[in-house]
Amino acid sequence: MALLQRPFFVLLLVLTHQFMQYWIAFGSVNEEGQKQEEEFNEELLLKPLPDRKVLAHFHFQSSAPPSTSNGRHHHIFPKAISQLVQKFRVKEMELSFTQGRWNYESWGGFDPIPSSNAKPPGVELWAVFDVPQHQIDASWQNLTHTLSGLFCASINFLESTTTYSAPEWSFPPASGNLRYGTLPREAVCTENLTPWLKLLPCRDKAGIAVLLDRPSIYRGFYHSQRLHLTSTGSGSEGMVSGIILEQTLTVVLQPNSQRAGMAYASERHIQPSWSLTSIFGKQVSGTCVLAKSSNVYLLLDRGLVAELEHLHKENEKSAENGFTSQNFWTKPSFELSADPDRIFIEENSLHSKGSSVLYKFQVEKYSESEPFDLSLTWKIPVVWLSQQAPLHASRFLMGSGNERGAIAISLKSTQLSEGFMGANADDERCDLQVNVFQVVPWYVKVYFHSLQVFVNQQPKAISDIIEKIHVSPSKDKVSPGVMEMVLKLPCKVNSAALTIEFDKGFLHIDEYPPDANQGFDIPSAIISFPNFHASMIFLKDDSVNKSPLLSKFQEKSPVMSYTEALLVPLTTPDFSMPYNVITITCTVFALYFGSLLNVLRRRVAEEERFLKEKAAKKTGRLSLLLSKLSAKLRGRQWEPPSSPPASSSFINAKLVFKVILVAGLAVGWQYFFS
Amino acid sequence: MPEISDSDSSKLPDNASKVPPQPQSQPDFDPKLMRETKPGLKRLFLTLTVLFSFLLGFPFLWKSVEIYRSPLPFREIDSLLTQLRSDTLLFPLHFHALFIGFDSDPDRIRLSILSEITKVTSQNPKCSNNYTLSVTVDFGPRCLRFPISSPHSISYQCGSITATDFVQNDDVAVDEKLESVFSGKTKEYSVVVVKGESEKAVVGKYRHAWMVVGGGWEMEIAAVKVAEVLVKVFVNGGREEGSIRNEFMPVGADGKIVLSFNLLNADPRDWVYDWDFRKIDDGLLATMIDALGPVANISVESQVLYHTPKASFSYWNQKLESHVFSNKDLPFFVNSNEWHLDTSIAAGGRSKILQFVVYVPSAKECPLLLQLPNGEISKTNGFISPMWGGVIVWNPQGCLKDSENKPTAGHRIPMQDLENMFEVFIGQFRQIFGFKSVNVYAGASGVWNLLPSERGFTVWEVDVLSRQHTCFNLHSCATTLGSLSRLVQSLPRMIIMDEIGKQVKLSLEAAKLAQSNASSGVYESSAASSRKARSLAEDSFFHPSIMSVSYYSFEHCFAVYSPFFLPVSMHIGLAALRELRRYKKEKAKYLAWKAKSNTAS
Repeated sequence: MALLQRPFFVLLLVLTHQFMQYWIAFGSVNEEGQKQEEEFNEELLLKPLPDRKVLAHFHFQSSAPPSTSNGRHHHIFPKAISQLVQKFRVKEMELSFTQGRWNYESWGGFDPIPSSNAKPPGVELWAVFDVPQHQIDASWQNLTHTLSGLFCASINFLESTTTYSAPEWSFPPASGNLRYGTLPREAVCTENLTPWLKLLPCRDKAGIAVLLDRPSIYRGFYHSQRLHLTSTGSGSEGMVSGIILEQTLTVVLQPNSQRAGMAYASERHIQPSWSLTSIFGKQVSGTCVLAKSSNVYLLLDRGLVAELEHLHKENEKSAENGFTSQNFWTKPSFELSADPDRIFIEENSLHSKGSSVLYKFQVEKYSESEPFDLSLTWKIPVVWLSQQAPLHASRFLMGSGNERGAIAISLKSTQLSEGFMGANADDERCDLQVNVFQVVPWYVKVYFHSLQVFVNQQPKAISDIIEKIHVSPSKDKVSPGVMEMVLKLPCKVNSAALTIEFDKGFLHIDEYPPDANQGFDIPSAIISFPNFHASMIFLKDDSVNKSPLLSKFQEKSPVMSYTEALLVPLTTPDFSMPYNVITITCTVFALYFGSLLNVLRRRVAEEERFLKEKAAKKTGRLSLLLSKLSAKLRGRQWEPPSSPPASSSFINAKLVFKVILVAGLAVGWQYFFS
Repeated sequence: MPEISDSDSSKLPDNASKVPPQPQSQPDFDPKLMRETKPGLKRLFLTLTVLFSFLLGFPFLWKSVEIYRSPLPFREIDSLLTQLRSDTLLFPLHFHALFIGFDSDPDRIRLSILSEITKVTSQNPKCSNNYTLSVTVDFGPRCLRFPISSPHSISYQCGSITATDFVQNDDVAVDEKLESVFSGKTKEYSVVVVKGESEKAVVGKYRHAWMVVGGGWEMEIAAVKVAEVLVKVFVNGGREEGSIRNEFMPVGADGKIVLSFNLLNADPRDWVYDWDFRKIDDGLLATMIDALGPVANISVESQVLYHTPKASFSYWNQKLESHVFSNKDLPFFVNSNEWHLDTSIAAGGRSKILQFVVYVPSAKECPLLLQLPNGEISKTNGFISPMWGGVIVWNPQGCLKDSENKPTAGHRIPMQDLENMFEVFIGQFRQIFGFKSVNVYAGASGVWNLLPSERGFTVWEVDVLSRQHTCFNLHSCATTLGSLSRLVQSLPRMIIMDEIGKQVKLSLEAAKLAQSNASSGVYESSAASSRKARSLAEDSFFHPSIMSVSYYSFEHCFAVYSPFFLPVSMHIGLAALRELRRYKKEKAKYLAWKAKSNTAS
């Protein structure tokens, strides 16, 4: 094997150097009998966003082909991940750590990036297992513990059956063996990023990952770190299945305005010019030598391209027929510091808006002496809008008080996609299909019968709108409630809303988290549009297929969006309450006991006589006055006490003695216990 | 007095009950000092009953707030500890000495060898051996045996080994011959002493040694040498006495070892080397893993890591034309920040992971050599760290940086280099187990050649390891259980689950079984049950319920119950005290009156 391989490698070396593109075609044909190698690709996509921010999307992909030694011997692929896949028989898994919320309104909701990389805040984990049905839960629990150790996060809280659920069909990779769980409150920081980087062969020492400067990343508005792995079917008998590990990091950053001194009135409309150095504080000084390809892309989305074309048309006034990428590049409204190696234009013009443009830069051409620092300088002010998902989803709580409330999901038609849907609008029976998947923790007791649907603010019969519904009610302290729905809305819908009422449950005192007064999170609902596919199809070309990022873009995945996570305040008890109750009850009991005992051993006649004697003796000033007063109040004649007053020193001595006794007890107690 | 006294009428006939006593009628009757009726007992009785029932309730309360503690067999743990500490674990061993061409009495030889053995044997504080020796003198067709009925000497066919077998110079062939003659029997260590021309002493790779001695050799000298090879080599594995390393076994509590091989490319920008690890795994390592089967269950993993510089600097040595890393900096060679060797997910939680690292230096430190403390350069260019693993520095051929500035992942470490490296690794692995890798054993009485095994470990070395493994496991189990019992006894309010009690019981049972198996010479099962005992002991010690700090403290108990018991006990106590005092006072009054009335009447 080795003898065969080494000449072949030399051949590859020569080939890769010059004929990179032919090599793959050649290699894939020839590798029929050969052993495939582990591969690693690194890519970065930059995209200006309409609200003066920049999106940076890092995409690292490692793959291990089916082999007999997966999980034991590895060259580039991380051993830990491979062992995890082998041990828990994971077919597909996705783990994401997110901080901040994706702003669907201004950053778009239709592209492949938001629909597969916008994630709910905190941790989201789902996994599909290749094990018999009864072992899935055990596998899931072990997997959460392993991941928790691997990524320094409290993923192990997903172990409890109250935190995860098994969606039947509404979650996109729907399958019976799927488990889904989220931890909305998990804080994400560097300690999660470092183990994630450790899975890359070059970590952040070389290649594109050098840009991951911690302060700049975590200063951003949105930060989502994702790990997706798919195990590909094993090639033949005895082979362990191959794995494709896809690690993405999506950040939305605000570039520091380079021309801070300029004070135009129109400054607000001018998009900030940025460069890699100004965003990340670093620049790429070469590739990771282990990467098969190392590319940086700049993506201008459909809205921006359409706007630029429009501006171009206006400025030039010379009605040229059609815009090709060439003249777009030569007469640009912005300037790039480096020449792109290739320009891709999106192929399908299904959208009247225009097609997005992708500039490709190969990092291989740059070196330490000549680092790659892409910068983009706008020449004219541009304003555009990103393409939205057909409906904008938001979720909120209704009602007040600590007893009951209601969850509402409101879907609003986005103005932008109106025209897009208008194509089908003529058809009377045009429907817009919306899938809703929502998990509710058990202490939020949802009444499914109270589900109400409003379309265009008119209440509608549920059966008219909801085509399919699957509900698995929550069990107290056992499992969360899951609601899966398929809605069929008319295409011309302006707004739709779903409301469902719930009662707030009571938790046992042990079940409250340490900061119970903050409230309890309801995980984000997932709204997906199965009829709309977020894909960008570029010209069929080998180089497109070769890039994992671009081939990812071409995949037809349904448009998906997450709603906000809700915060429900529950009645939180006073946590010292048990002690208070104990103390009060004990005191009452003690009083009862004491008085009962006193009554039992009381000698009424003796006491009366004693009192009389005492009264006869005692004539203090005060008591004299008191007895006078009481006699007056009773309306009787006052009889002066017969005997002379006795000194009260005896009572005082007793009092003093008691005080001393108590003090002595206290001192003794202190002494004994310290 | 309004006191009710039922015995008034019967006891005091003078003061008729019909006529209540009139204090006024008797001039010297002072109501403060005397009373005419007997003081009543009803209230006193009542309060005392309450007090007693209150006191009686305490044991019940105590019982009800008691926390659950599974009864642990403290006494048995202690007895195991003392047993292992005082009388050491005895492993039975059988030695067989065969003399060919000698003309002496086997009984005399046996006695002299035995006396030599007792001289050489040092007392191991933990585990020792209980040996039996049989001696055979072969005259060709017949032989003399002593002890005559020993099953070990009787199974030897007289005349099956002759002096001519040893004439040839091929030690391996002789070893195989001896194995074929002695095999198929119980485990015994045999030494063959032959009279011949040349002198030679060899220890084979099975359980045999032979010695060719010249004509003029005395029996006594031969006996000394035989005793030494038996004790120092076969029993102690040729290791030095008192070395700390001998006491530790790099085997996990579950009896597993994971060998994690890592190829570290310090700077992949200079060059990237890969290896064909699978070939090594299938070839060299598989046989060694197979040989060590009785001691540990070994699995192998490998990975290649990049951008992993070492943590300390080397200096340029002009004379050697290379970078030299001095011995005193070795602790700083391993860079735990950058070398993310990681533990293995595939391995269970208690497996021992040994890391073996091949370090490929970057171009600017390329021929990197390790210096020994005496100033010489290490031949293996590697070092070990006990209980962690080993490191080898491998310098690429010529240290030439690629002329092309594209170092692709095409380089492979040549197979020859890789094999050499893995031989060093096996040596390091042996060293971690405490064995030397030289093929000569120099004892006090002479030099023995040791035949190396192609399996990495010879049969008698594996025997030594498995005995040591059993011994180590048993001691570790006993100390773990001992600490557990001390911990449990020192925290009286710690909850102890039933599961822990069960684990402790099972662990003790397994330890007993291991002891009995060891003393009857069944090494495999004793190693297995000692492993089980240790693993169960660790399980019970690291049980999650012990780890939690939420045990029910006395302060907590006091805080909950004191609001009730403090006031109530005060009431009851005071009431009882008052009643008692009053009763005494009243009784004294009554007695005073009685005395007075007696004197009066």
